[in-house]
Amino acid sequence: MVRCMADVIQHPASAARAAGAAGSIQVTGLSHAYASGGGPMEALADIDFTVGTGRFVVIVGPSGCGKSSLLMMLAGLRQQTAGSILCGNRPVTGPDPDRIGVVFQDANLFPWLTALDNVAFPLALRRVKPAERRRRALDMLRMVGLENFAARHPHELSGGMRQRVSIARGLVQDPPVLLMDEPFAALDEQTRMTMGEELLRIWAATRKTVVFVTHSLQEAVFLADEVLVMSARPGRIIDRIEVDLPRPRTYAMMAELHFARLRDRIWQHIRSSHAL
Amino acid sequence: MRSDDRSRGLPPAALRWALIAIVVVLWEVLPRVGAIPALFLPPLSESLRILVTDWPAYASALWVTLREVCVALLLVCCGGILGGAVLGSVPALRALLLPVASSLFAVPIVIVYPILTVWFGIGPASKIAFATLGGFFPTLLATAAGIRTIDPNLLLAARSMGASLPQLVVRVIIPAAIPTVLAGLRLGGVLAIVGVVVSEMLISDAGIGYLVTSYRTVLDSPHVFAAVLLIVLVTLLFDTLARWLEYRAAAWQPQSRRGWRRAPRGAADDVTAVT
Repeated sequence: MVRCMADVIQHPASAARAAGAAGSIQVTGLSHAYASGGGPMEALADIDFTVGTGRFVVIVGPSGCGKSSLLMMLAGLRQQTAGSILCGNRPVTGPDPDRIGVVFQDANLFPWLTALDNVAFPLALRRVKPAERRRRALDMLRMVGLENFAARHPHELSGGMRQRVSIARGLVQDPPVLLMDEPFAALDEQTRMTMGEELLRIWAATRKTVVFVTHSLQEAVFLADEVLVMSARPGRIIDRIEVDLPRPRTYAMMAELHFARLRDRIWQHIRSSHAL
Repeated sequence: MRSDDRSRGLPPAALRWALIAIVVVLWEVLPRVGAIPALFLPPLSESLRILVTDWPAYASALWVTLREVCVALLLVCCGGILGGAVLGSVPALRALLLPVASSLFAVPIVIVYPILTVWFGIGPASKIAFATLGGFFPTLLATAAGIRTIDPNLLLAARSMGASLPQLVVRVIIPAAIPTVLAGLRLGGVLAIVGVVVSEMLISDAGIGYLVTSYRTVLDSPHVFAAVLLIVLVTLLFDTLARWLEYRAAAWQPQSRRGWRRAPRGAADDVTAVT
């Protein structure tokens, strides 16, 4: 990472280009295989896609298609077998909280820290001064509507609140990209719908690039600018669907024919993928 | 559901104090009225009086015992926690040694005490060695379990935020393991105290355990019970301290897992229902 920074400093032109595309993601020829009892198992094959800065892209696919693995590779938490991942025109070689924030399925908050300290945790790792940490973490909590719960521990919060704290934590370092791994999967349906709206509001306010993995077709169409549909193992991208519903999105749109058609198109892919 | 408990008579704390009061009264009254021979159970006031009049002898014995306990606790802390941390974080070593450690925990280590006196003499060193051995295994096993049961997702989350290995240890692994480690240390500490007293009773020339044995051989029950009272006091003190520490360290855990006392219920329960 330090080396990359040095490159950018040495080449002002590339620095300018990187700034314009800071939130872009470019995945080329990505494959992943892991060792299993009967030899190497192919999990992901020939994944190519590009996400423009500020876009909301949702990846859907049947369970076990490797969509979460793909996200972990984008986050630099897992190494791919082949292919390259560029974020802001620089390769992703490991976790880099300056460029990429991650929100996990189970919120993964540290149970011994308060909501505020959880949000401030990435800043503490960077040795940001306590007063500054507190101020920025409080700003983030305010953005997700939890400023009155700053002193609570995770076990005192509901599932939806925990996930909101987790989103605040993912955004506290102001990375251009936010990766979300089925963040609402563990929530009940009502909370899930509220959280979807809440996320779109936060996204509209921060204009981050979001890559969001889910297995809910409805959620995918409701949230996305673009939906990438993956096949069953080995996971490939079998369709890209541009969701041209106007924003801000409302629940009323779910009842519209166009919404149903888009959802149906994804479902056809996943069903045929299951039949394999 | 909790109001049911409350409506049923005295709260548990009051009931507990009442039971203690009853025991104290019976301890005094039963020997006085001759229901129990004073040789078996001297009146409480008699033992307390001796504790006061013979205080210099008891104090010097207590000093010896406390010193041995403190050194043993220190060794148990260092050895047990360090060993447990290594055992908990290195899978190969764990597979090799954890079954051995678990089995050794079950061995009544009193049988090695005569050997320890041969090695270390009958002075404090053999007591400390014996007590350390007694407290070591529960602390070791608890620490290993505490490290092993850390949620791997928390480590993954910390890594995604760019945590280095030392940061993972200091900011995630240690805080996550502390409650389990302290619970093990409480058990290990009590066993260390037991170890010191037992070894003093077996072969020694000083300490509370030594006093118990020497008064017992001359059938001086009031003096024996005075010594017993002191040991009970020391153990209660340690246990209270350890539980307070545990409570403080586990303040973030859900109520059901906290033992010290019941904290007021958070208002969040009601808020969560709304959200």
